[in-house]
Amino acid sequence: MATLSIENAGKSFGDTDVLKDISLSMDDGEFLVLLGASGCGKSTLLNMIAGLEKVSHGTIRVDGEVVNDVHPKDRDMAMVFQSYALYPNMSVEKNIAFGLEMRGVGRAERKAAVEEVARLLQIEHLLDRKPAQLSGGQRQRVAMGRALVRRPKIFLFDEPLSNLDAQLRVEMRTEIKRLHQTLKATMVYVTHDQIEAMTLADRIAVLKDGRIQQIGTPSEIYNTPANVYVAGFVGSPAMNFFEVTLERDGDQIGVMLPAKLKGVDTPYFLPLPAGGQYHSHIGQPVVLGLRPEMISQATTAAPEDPVITCDVDVVEPTGADTLCVIRLAGRGAKARVSPAFACEPGDSMEFALDMSRACVFDAETGMRLYG
Amino acid sequence: MPNSSRLAGANGKRRMAGRIFIWSLLLFAAFVYLTPLYVVIATSLKDLAEIRAGALLDLPHELNFSAWQAAWSNACIGVRCEGLKPYFLNSILMSVPAVILSTALGALSGFALSKFRFKGANTVFSLMLFGCFIPLQIVILPMAQTLGFLGIANSISGLILVHTIYGISFTTLFFRNYYVTIPNDLVKAATMDGAGFFQIFWRIMIPLSQPIIVVSIIWQFTQIWNEFLLGASFTTGGAQPVTVALNNLINTTTSVKQYNVDMAAALIAAAPTLLVYVVAGRYFVRGLTAGAIKG
Repeated sequence: MATLSIENAGKSFGDTDVLKDISLSMDDGEFLVLLGASGCGKSTLLNMIAGLEKVSHGTIRVDGEVVNDVHPKDRDMAMVFQSYALYPNMSVEKNIAFGLEMRGVGRAERKAAVEEVARLLQIEHLLDRKPAQLSGGQRQRVAMGRALVRRPKIFLFDEPLSNLDAQLRVEMRTEIKRLHQTLKATMVYVTHDQIEAMTLADRIAVLKDGRIQQIGTPSEIYNTPANVYVAGFVGSPAMNFFEVTLERDGDQIGVMLPAKLKGVDTPYFLPLPAGGQYHSHIGQPVVLGLRPEMISQATTAAPEDPVITCDVDVVEPTGADTLCVIRLAGRGAKARVSPAFACEPGDSMEFALDMSRACVFDAETGMRLYG
Repeated sequence: MPNSSRLAGANGKRRMAGRIFIWSLLLFAAFVYLTPLYVVIATSLKDLAEIRAGALLDLPHELNFSAWQAAWSNACIGVRCEGLKPYFLNSILMSVPAVILSTALGALSGFALSKFRFKGANTVFSLMLFGCFIPLQIVILPMAQTLGFLGIANSISGLILVHTIYGISFTTLFFRNYYVTIPNDLVKAATMDGAGFFQIFWRIMIPLSQPIIVVSIIWQFTQIWNEFLLGASFTTGGAQPVTVALNNLINTTTSVKQYNVDMAAALIAAAPTLLVYVVAGRYFVRGLTAGAIKG
């Protein structure tokens, strides 16, 4: 059990900075997810924590001790790889015991430890098999067993579920979450899958181009994204963005949003409930962010939400919800409505906009304004 | 499934004619290649009188192994009349350690160059590749000086050293290119598990290397066993490998040219490489085409 803190860490390969000025700290037992698209540096950061990559500048501390120059094997961390990285020539039992063997643990003790982990992961019947004789999900369990058996201070996961099919991925996700709750261990988990991040994390760090864009709880990341990138990356379907101008109408501050109705753009003034804080930005271009669920059928909406009427181009039923593609501010936007209220494509319908949860970003910097 | 009889040229008479053409071409090629081998084997089993009778392609009247016996144990090479036997042993004493050493060193350096990449690893590798293209003739003089300096000129150990060094370029190339296909995550996982360089090499990489080890052994054994120039240049008399002895045996003429003994000696000298191919050949092809290890 351990705390981890990273201070101003960076990584350069030659002239290219892969990671810039990364700072974060983790409490004992926390589950941190590093989230980002491929090439954002999240795996490099994980490898730096593991000691598999040198830290170019800055420091990494475990339990307050600087570990920059500590060899990976002495950091007391274990890692689960996307490719599982099981040793193909060894049986499952030997795979799991290898780390203990390298650390000079005696045969009897190893056997007991392996059996305990195998029981925990329900792979006791597989101990004599070779990795090639296992299914993807079983390999994944063995890979986790190999990490668990050493009882390390910190667990590192490098996209461990990416090679599994969709159903198994959801199963193993729950399994990992349960494992974290049982072990109460400090875990760092790298993924590009925002749903994995949302479901597993105590906190998420969103990375882009080698920089942390935002660190926060899943709900902070989802409800108050720091910038347009985070807002667009997290959430499925993605948040709708509209380039609009902040305007004043009487004592209300809001935006003008044209909605297409019967082929004609009809402008609506949408007041922002907390408009006062945008005072200094009146007349400036901003980006309005509305998640699909903030655009819903007017019938069941709160009375204070502004209502717009517009054409529905495409209807995408997903089962629980139906997505309607409408045109707002000259571009396609997705609205999430209850299937009972969904209209036919080509018809028009009334949507209520939940402006209290809308995000407003600076058009130039992409940063969220206030709140 | 596509209907192959619909393909152009696949129907009836034209197809038959094509087949006949292909088969006769193949048979002709086989004949051209196999006839010399047949002549060598047949001649080695004939006695001199039968050979002198002149029918080169006739089968021997009886299976007469006396020429083989002579070639093995009492044919004269220079002034010594002990046959190929001592030189054959020399070749074994030279090839086996040289093959093992060059394969082991190639595996180790291939591992280092592919999985423990250091600054300039690629440059080192390209320089090593040069070794594959250097003609032996160029290194003979400096090598002779080196062997003299080390005091192992005209000895089997000297030849072992030369063949090991010369072979490392090839074996490194084999192993490096093979190890590149093994996922780096395996090495990372083993590092996290606490294994060091040699532990990873011995416990993880070597068990996965069987196909490429076979390739390396066949290649190196064939090269070293068949090598003539270095053997002729660096050894005399009792330390000569079998290839040099074979040459000398054929050039040593007493009264009549003993073609049957010459042929038998040639076959004896070629036998080990053939044997290695027969035993391990199927692994050779498998090793050459071996791809990534699926984890």
